Amino acid sequence: MSFDLGLVLRNGGTLLDGALVTLAIALVGALVAVFGGALICAARISKNAVLRSIARGYILFFRVTPEVVLIFWAYYCVPLIFATKVSGFWAGSVVLGLIGAAFLAEIYRAGIESVPRGQVEAAHALGLPSLPKWGFVILPQALRLSIAPLVNYFSEFLKNTTLLSAIGVADLSLQAYLLGGQTYRYIEFLSAIAVVYFFMIFPVILFARRLEVRLGRPGKRERSRSGLLPKLSRPTPQSRLANP
Amino acid sequence: MIDYDFLRSLDFSIVWKYLPVLIAGLGTNILLTAIGFICGGVVVGTLLALANLSPNRFISWPAWIFVEFWRSTPLLVQAIWVHFAVPGITGISMTPFQSGSIALIFNVAAYCSEIIRGGIGAIGKGQFEAAKSLGLRFYPTWRLVILPQAVKLMLPPLVGTTISIFKATTILSVLAIDDLMRTASRLSSSTFQPVEIYTTAAVLAFIVGAAITFAGYAAEKRLKRGMA
Repeated sequence: MSFDLGLVLRNGGTLLDGALVTLAIALVGALVAVFGGALICAARISKNAVLRSIARGYILFFRVTPEVVLIFWAYYCVPLIFATKVSGFWAGSVVLGLIGAAFLAEIYRAGIESVPRGQVEAAHALGLPSLPKWGFVILPQALRLSIAPLVNYFSEFLKNTTLLSAIGVADLSLQAYLLGGQTYRYIEFLSAIAVVYFFMIFPVILFARRLEVRLGRPGKRERSRSGLLPKLSRPTPQSRLANP
Repeated sequence: MIDYDFLRSLDFSIVWKYLPVLIAGLGTNILLTAIGFICGGVVVGTLLALANLSPNRFISWPAWIFVEFWRSTPLLVQAIWVHFAVPGITGISMTPFQSGSIALIFNVAAYCSEIIRGGIGAIGKGQFEAAKSLGLRFYPTWRLVILPQAVKLMLPPLVGTTISIFKATTILSVLAIDDLMRTASRLSSSTFQPVEIYTTAAVLAFIVGAAITFAGYAAEKRLKRGMA
């Protein structure tokens, strides 16, 4: 049993093509998810009960239905129902984006809901119209809290791109699988792409963890004003030790 | 834009004929979900979490690397790696169901070990010290003090993980396991009625996913009431 790394390197071009397809899926899907998620979130927290329940239904459906089922449905059924041609790439990446939108809508909502109530009331007290209230008061604080979970979801999203290989999109995983089948050297190709995926996804996870720690702390502007806060309100090392 | 003639030509009556086959496929997914949750999440996940919390670096570091690697690679790649590459190393060939289960178990274990570790880690050191000062031994400490508190913290993320496991089981159909998706694609190519078959498959999968979600919420509520 020998491990022939040269075999993988000789087919590096094909694998690179696959990796580019994977990144293209991630890009299309992420765009759909980020903007679609914002729309769904807006509907989810709107005052209109019909919009709210549509958004709830959307979020429930796309969160609990397996991705593979939806991808197959989009690939085989959408072209028939709409009498058009849809490539596997577009069907799959848009579906992944729609699934992502459901998750991101909940992430945005969690961010918006964790903005202290007093901030919204202060904006009302200042008589701010809706647009500056959201643009200058709520969203800057809400999005800050959403960024870490958003990046974390992107790492899940990168893993989901492999599912498009089930409908024949030549992404990195399908290319490796086909090359393995042609050469009967599955170990080399599959191990190589496992490592490639690891180096694609692990940095994203690490970045999300870093963001979580960094954004959990007060930001630059808050820090610069923290001198105005009464000193006693902040826990000192001594007071923490005294706490049983 | 919508092809209404096509929509009118849809004949969902064949669904009744094939529903038992599709449900049998769905049963495979539910079985795999249970295997993943019990073997992967509870057994291997707990072992990995304990290994990860161990003060001995020779135990905690390999566990940490294992968890990070399985969390940072897609299940599809793991499944085909276990099915096609592992037999080349070990010389043991496995059925698709076996290799699918193995990949799923390790994948779920990696996720759950982080949840379990987080749950145990969130219990203050004071609780361990209090148990010790009361003279509790290892087993009562965990059974009466630590776990009741930790499980309450673990349950919400575990519900989410259970749905993820169910969703992940459909991925294993690439290994030719006769689950819902593979049954559906076979039926759709033999009946030439993909819309009816895939729509039914999607509805069935949604029902199971939603049922797990609501069962999880109910369990959470009950646990909260029982422990408050």
